[in-house]
Order: sequence, then structure tokens, then C-alpha cells
Amino acid sequence: MNNFLFTQPFFKKNGKAVAIYFLVAIIFWFVFLVIIPQFYMLDLSFRTNVPPLARGGPEDYYTFEHYSHFIFGSKTATDAFNFVDLGVFGRTIFVSMLVTIANLLFCYPIAFYIAKIANPSTARLLIVSLIIPFWINELLRSFALRILFANEGVINNFLTGVGILDQGILFITYDIGLYTGLIYAYILLMMFPLYNAIESLDINQIEAAKDLGSSSFRTHWRIVIPHAKPGIVSGCTMVFMLTVGALATPVVLSSPNTLWFPQLIYQWFNMNDNWSRGSAYSIILLIVSVIFVLTMMRIFKVRIGEIIK
Amino acid sequence: MMGIYIFIFFAYLFGPLIIMSITAFNSAEFPSITPWECFSFRWFNEGKIAYDGQHLAGLLSDWRLHDGIISSLIIGAGVVTLSVPIGMAAAIVLTQVRSQLRDIYYSISIMPVLFPGVIIGISTVVLWDRIAGLGGEGFIADIGRNGIFLTILAQTCFISTYCFLIFVARLQRFDQTQEEAALDLGASQTQVFFKILVPYLSPAIASAAVIAFLFSFENYNTTVFSILSDQTLTTVIASKVRLGISPALSALALTIIALTIIAAVTYEVLRRRAEKRYAESEEKFVKEKAADNRINKKYKAGFRIPKGITAILLIVVFATYGATQIVKNDLYGQSCIDTADKKKKSKFLEQLQTLESNELTDEELSGGSLGGNQDYGDIFGDPSLFQDFGGFD
Repeated sequence: MNNFLFTQPFFKKNGKAVAIYFLVAIIFWFVFLVIIPQFYMLDLSFRTNVPPLARGGPEDYYTFEHYSHFIFGSKTATDAFNFVDLGVFGRTIFVSMLVTIANLLFCYPIAFYIAKIANPSTARLLIVSLIIPFWINELLRSFALRILFANEGVINNFLTGVGILDQGILFITYDIGLYTGLIYAYILLMMFPLYNAIESLDINQIEAAKDLGSSSFRTHWRIVIPHAKPGIVSGCTMVFMLTVGALATPVVLSSPNTLWFPQLIYQWFNMNDNWSRGSAYSIILLIVSVIFVLTMMRIFKVRIGEIIK
Repeated sequence: MMGIYIFIFFAYLFGPLIIMSITAFNSAEFPSITPWECFSFRWFNEGKIAYDGQHLAGLLSDWRLHDGIISSLIIGAGVVTLSVPIGMAAAIVLTQVRSQLRDIYYSISIMPVLFPGVIIGISTVVLWDRIAGLGGEGFIADIGRNGIFLTILAQTCFISTYCFLIFVARLQRFDQTQEEAALDLGASQTQVFFKILVPYLSPAIASAAVIAFLFSFENYNTTVFSILSDQTLTTVIASKVRLGISPALSALALTIIALTIIAAVTYEVLRRRAEKRYAESEEKFVKEKAADNRINKKYKAGFRIPKGITAILLIVVFATYGATQIVKNDLYGQSCIDTADKKKKSKFLEQLQTLESNELTDEELSGGSLGGNQDYGDIFGDPSLFQDFGGFD
């Protein structure tokens, strides 16, 4: 086993005590914290929802009912498809993609400026000030936006007070607050991979392009962006995954009429006490996330190690 | 052009936080700036009894918040003690795995951060509920249904990955010859680990511990599932926000912002000092080696006024001016609050009378013009609402 898994004999290399500590820690982590819980959740998602005492009894059998509920709705429903849940799901994915693209567009100029144009002390100051807002709890950051966007919030009070509007805009009801909050929430995770990628580009390449008469746009398109590709992929993946799985920001900022997909999972889980269905919906979310990561890796030809550094 | 864009970008980042911080000092019940009542510290202290009898707790008088902070601290400590050793072990083993397996090993290690947080919370809960059910009555059933224990496990699952990445980055610069030298000098493998590897990794251990604690302390997505019937700081905040927004939350946020900035500045100062010390020792080393004396000449640095002092002076001047203006215009202190309350109370009574004369039903009253906000219509469908409610105590 030693020669198969490791470059050198494991116990001899580390000493007995330390080797045992390594093995216990890693097996505890991989097996008990990562793998078994996921597989148990997968198993539960195919089972009927029964109270704990009836587990293992005749009512506890394998079924696709939770997945078919997601697509076709409950058996008594008249619609052909479960438009409510599918709508929430589609909207969550679509908005998450838009949020990712918006983050990329907002961050690229700043990342390029900090990495290549600003002098080192300015760059350092800008980086520190980028980090500070993100040490504050996501809930409290969303709360700050809620103060701005509430119906009697700061923006509406200002607009009506100055006399630009007669009546406040319903930012929360139309989910403008939610979208702003989602862009706000994970912008740092786009900024840093981008910055790291652009920073490693040799400035001479940009200057050479300029000397050869390339326009500024063309320089970015042909030199900077291809070089920053791993950073772009990494940032987009992280932002998309976190946005799709966001719960804190939608809890604070979404309008009462619309749900974010993790909120739907939360409802099945905590309010309706249907753990099996909650698990099934979680598996659907997980599958989407995995597909997204694999697609990004395939399209842009990067390895998973480059996505997370 | 670029300057304007950067300004807008940073305004977007900081603007909401600054406005929220300002609202913490407004004595009005709804966090706002424009109908500015009085400058007050009440949201940091005892809060207030609102004119309609509702108790809005301030930071110091909110026992629910204090309980949440305590359990968050316990969870943070647990997560640090588990995830730092796990991350270290996984990172060291990464250097020993055969190169063919390294990609798979690395992928499994970083997988947990790619999972949505809600999924990690849910999977931990369902598994441990099952284990508790199988274990019957006793110790296993107790810990399987203990929210704090489950939260520690669930958070350790993905926070270990962050620790792992920190250790991997540090290990990449490790000089293997140190180990070989120690072995040649007759050290045992265990001694090499404790005398060479652990001291080399100690900065990474420190930063992994800090990162693990911070991630644990501010996590919501995983915690909200795994905490079960307990409360942490983040779940308390979430239930408060859902209930309606109060300036006490602004006060809490401002406190956290202040602590963050103090911590960041301290860290930066310590880091610079360490760098300076390192540079000095290097310089000393070079000087001792240098035969040429030219390098040993001392250059006396002239006294310079630090640039930051103008900013500090400006802030002090503005703060003093603002404070005098506030006191002069009677915007601070008990008398101001009393007048504002009286005004609101009479307005409230007026509204109540008009409502009574219109003979509205109770439902219309609760959702009507008495400050009830239509945004919160959905929370009344939440059965756990009144369980979380800390208003009327």
C-alpha cells in the first residue's frame, strides 16, 4: 500500500506517532465530514418522508417522488409542471449568471488598475480598503443595503425629500435591493483572483503591444485577458457557486413574493419538516454547481487546482 | 476617468456601511438619517421602550444577542481546534502522495469549499439525526441532537480546506534539506516533525487559526441548519432582521466594524515591525560580512512628519465642530429625546383615535399605518417566528 500511495514508506518517513495522527485527521475529515454525510443525504433524498419512529418500517421505501415533485408538482396539482419551484430554480440560476458577469465587468478595471497602473503604496492602500468591508458579516452588509433600499429607507426618503419623486420606489418589492446585495456580497472573490492573475503579467508585454500600434482595447483583448484567464475562471466559479447557494443575503433583502432557491430548501427543511424533499432539492443544487464547475473547466481548459488557490 | 470609476466603486463598497454607522446614532426607532431626531447612544446601551409599548433592546440589554455571541465563541474555538490540525495533516501528506494521485487528493481536499454552504449543513444534520436515532437514549443521542456540536462538525468540514490551502502555500517554500540535515545529525522522524516542521509552519498555524475563527464566527448558511434549536450570533441577527429592522443592529455592525479596523491596523503594524526586524537582521548580517566599510556608514534619517497626521487633525477638527453644533442645537441628551417622544406619542394617539372612529378590525390595525411595514407580510407565515421573538419581555 505504501508504495502505491506514497513516494516514500509512510510510517517510516513520518515516525509512528505522527503518521497515526496524519491518518486519523485525514480519514476523519474525508470520510466522516465530507463523504458519508453527502452520501447519506443522497440516500435520504430517495426515501419517503416518514417520522423518525417509522424508519425502517413498511412506509420507508425508495422513491423518486421528491424529484418528480420538483419537476411535475404534487400529484393533486392541475398544472403539467411545477412552475413555482422550477421558476424559482431557473430565476436563481439566471440571476446568478448575470451577477457573475456584472461582477467580472465591475472588477476588471479596478483589478487592472491596482495590478498594473497604481504605484505600490496606493495599490497596497486600495487592497486593504477592499478587504475591510468583507470582514463584516454578510448579514450585516445586507442589512446596510436594507437600510438604504427599504420603502421608507434612506434613498427613498432622500428622493422624496428633495422632490425628485412624489412616491418612493419599491426597491425591495422589485428585488432591486436583492440584486444589488448579491453583487455586493461576493465581489471580493472576483477581485482577488483577477488581481493575482493580472499582477503576474509582465508589463513589457503590454508596452510591446502599445509600441506595435495596438489600440488599448485590442491590448486588453489579445494580451491581458488571455493571460488572466485562470483568474477569470476562478473568480467566476467562486462567485457563481456562492451566489447560487446564498442564503443570508436573500433572507435580508428578497421581497416576500419571491424566493431564492436555498430559501426554498430552507422552507422544506425547517418549516415543512420534510427533510427528504429538502435533501432532494439540495442534491439538485449540488448537481447544478458541479455541472457549472465542470463546464467552466472544459470550456476554458483549466484544471481544478487553478480554480482555488 | 479611471479615478471617477474607482471613486464610484469604493463609494459602493463603503457608502452603505458608513450610512448604516450613522444611523446607529439616531434615536429614531427606524434606522434612518433624514428625519433626524436626536444624537444618542441609546442603541449601544439600553435601547428604548417605544411609544407603542414595544421594547426595542439595545446592545447591552439584549440577552439573546449575548447568548448568541457566547455560543459563537464556543463554536469558533471548537472549529479552530479541529480544523487547524486537520488542514496541517492534509497539507503535509499532500507533499508525500505519489504524483499520479496528487490531483485526485487535491480535488477531494478542496471539494468542500465548492459545495454550497446550505448543503454541508443539511447533510451533517440528517446524518447525525440518523446516528442519534440508532444510538437510542444516551450519550450518542445527546451529542447527535446538540446544535453546537453539529455546527462545529459542519463548519470544520469546509473550514479545514481553507486551513489546508494556507499550509500548502507555506509548505511550497519549505527547504527539504533542513529535514535531511536533522536526520543526518541523528534526529528521529518524530523529532524532525516537532523541531523542524512545526516551527517552520508556526506562522501558518497562527494565520490558519485566525482565518478559521473568523470564518466560523461569521458563517450563516451552514450554521442556520446545523444549529438546530440553539442560537449563534448570526442566527440571532437573521431572526432580528426578518422581524423588522432596528437601529440596534446598526450599532452592532458599527461595533464589529470598529473591532475589525482595530484588528486590521494592529495586524499591519505587527507585520511591518516583524518585516523591519527581519530586514535589520539581514542588514546586520550583510554588514558583518562586508569587507568594504563604505556600506557601514550610518545615514541619519531626518525627522519627518507622518502624512497621516493631517487626516487625523482634520477628523478631530470636524468632530469637535460637529459635537459643539449638536449640543448647541439641543440635538443631544435627554431633553431632546423627551420632546421627540412626546411629539410621536401625541401623533400616535391621534392616529389611534382616528382609527377607532373608523372602527377598523384588528388585522387592519396590525398591518396598517401604525408603522407596520408591508415588506414583512411573509414572516407571519413562519411558525418559528414567535419562538425567535424577543420583543415583549
